[in-house]
Amino acid sequence: MELLIQIIFVLISTLILGAAVMVVRTRNVIHSALWLIASFFGIGALYLLLEAEFLAIAQVLIYVGAISVLILFAIMLTHNVTSGEGHKFYQRWWLALLVSLMLFAVILVPTLVGQDWTITARPSEESAIAGAVEMGTAFMREYLLPFEIAAVLLLVALTGAIVIAYEERAQRRRILTLAQELALRKQQQQNHAEE
Amino acid sequence: MADVINHVLNTMLGLNAPEWLIIFISNSIAVTLIFAIAPLQMLFMTYFERRAIARMQDRLGPNRVGPKGIFQPVADGVKMFTKEDIVPTAADKMVHLLAPCVVAAPVMFMFAVIPWGPGMYAVDLDTGLLFFFAISSVSAVGLMMAGWASYNKFALLGAMRAVAQMVSYEVPALISIAVIVMLTNSMSIVSIIEAQSGLFISQVDVAGIPDLGLGWFIFSPVGLLGFICFFIAALAEGERTPFDIPEADSEIVAGYMTEYSGMKFALFFLAQYLLNFLLCAITVITFFGGWQGPGISWLWSMAVSEANPAGNPIFNVLAGILGTFYFLAKTYFFFFVMIWIRGAFPRLRVDQLMGFGWKFVIPLTIVNIFSASLWIGWIRWELNPDLAFLSALGEPYSFARWGFAFVATLVMNVAAYTLMTRINRSPDETIDELVADQVFGAVTLR
Repeated sequence: MELLIQIIFVLISTLILGAAVMVVRTRNVIHSALWLIASFFGIGALYLLLEAEFLAIAQVLIYVGAISVLILFAIMLTHNVTSGEGHKFYQRWWLALLVSLMLFAVILVPTLVGQDWTITARPSEESAIAGAVEMGTAFMREYLLPFEIAAVLLLVALTGAIVIAYEERAQRRRILTLAQELALRKQQQQNHAEE
Repeated sequence: MADVINHVLNTMLGLNAPEWLIIFISNSIAVTLIFAIAPLQMLFMTYFERRAIARMQDRLGPNRVGPKGIFQPVADGVKMFTKEDIVPTAADKMVHLLAPCVVAAPVMFMFAVIPWGPGMYAVDLDTGLLFFFAISSVSAVGLMMAGWASYNKFALLGAMRAVAQMVSYEVPALISIAVIVMLTNSMSIVSIIEAQSGLFISQVDVAGIPDLGLGWFIFSPVGLLGFICFFIAALAEGERTPFDIPEADSEIVAGYMTEYSGMKFALFFLAQYLLNFLLCAITVITFFGGWQGPGISWLWSMAVSEANPAGNPIFNVLAGILGTFYFLAKTYFFFFVMIWIRGAFPRLRVDQLMGFGWKFVIPLTIVNIFSASLWIGWIRWELNPDLAFLSALGEPYSFARWGFAFVATLVMNVAAYTLMTRINRSPDETIDELVADQVFGAVTLR
């Protein structure tokens, strides 16, 4: 069983890494977005392998179902990016590599240093840490303040988006039904005749 | 499933099979059953829809192949198989090929958590309900792929419309389902169905009355409003007629399916009908008790189960048949309601669709969450250790409290509904106001 899990782990991580490499390798922006979705999906599978069921489902719901769709929408609505020219910043690839490695190190180094690598006993079945109930309790008790701050931040972002996207009512041509349009034209003709 | 296989192999035949073999066999059987039953449902649903809509439009519908035309879907399937597979020259071949698979695969995944009868499910996930909606949102990616890869304006427009609609109607669907999660304290679909046993006086067990399996959530005001909002959202998610603007044939040919032919088109069609079936099924499961109905608990009490290993397997079969009958009867009733709405209502405009979703359905679901928490508070407040003495007051007290909660949440929900309909009523603008609006607005009509 251990061997089987390790084989599955290797397969899934190959999928994730391969897809992630393809994201930066392909010249077509839509294709890289699709590879990114494949990579997100693989991460969900990895969570499932760790028996973090809720986390896996949330990963699929949020990253595959919502964020990737947003990315695709943004690409398709942007002018002239889908033509497949690509690689406009190719000369300074080493700089990009350096920055991304440093960002990766910011996450990885504290984990590697702080981790106690001598695992003595496997955790028992009961001590699930990533179930729906455990995460709900943690959000409502220990991490209530970060949770609320994130909620307020999202609300502000939502309101901001509406403020930016909202057209003034006066600037917008109303869509009329046929009957209204007809009545309007009649009224205008009448006004015209009176003048 | 696994315990039945275990019973047959180890107890009855004495083979002493290892655990992994039992799990493997039971999962293989479940997967085979799902893959066999799901396309059959789709075949019957196309026939049912065509006959029903024909009757509503005063036509006959397909009636030539087989008795009453029952083999028409099979003939359609043969036709689909023999059609030429046309791919546009300018299309992105790989993405064009993958898109129908990405749309159809999540739908088959969703079948995994659907229970057909007592004990008849493939898996019982702790987060089954969330799994259902999470995996259904994956098909939005497939729609985008189809629309983009076809290199066709109609296809792209259709995909944009479909995805915008799916994303915005996922919000009210999930919020109205969250009410049920609050009521049952669980996201497992099996335990949601089990919570709907008993009588229609929800959450109150009356002594001396047998378990009729009628404790459906629809019989509480909270469940009723939740059902209305969820069914509207389900119509939009399944692209059914008042909301079928992604494939509005009079505007954009067939939306994202425009450039597909043969079996690829059939896959889209399959995915869509199965999604409609699943949305009706999840409506039935969350608000109408799933397989619950009179007689199930009586049959199940005599069957082989974890609580009763010495039962008779015949009653497993009987309870399963009756449960599947109740489940399918309710599901097909709601599919009929979908057809009925298709026969009765015209299509909405895109802006009307978005306005209806964000200004009418979502506020109602949020009010419903509020009244659900009040309902739960009133019904179950003796669960609070400080208020435990209240449960000593006896049955009349708990009935009175149930009645108070019922009336209060009903008043709240009806008030919210009336308020929302009043706010959203189309304004009775006079023609002068319209003219003024046009004058301020664009120059086109001057």
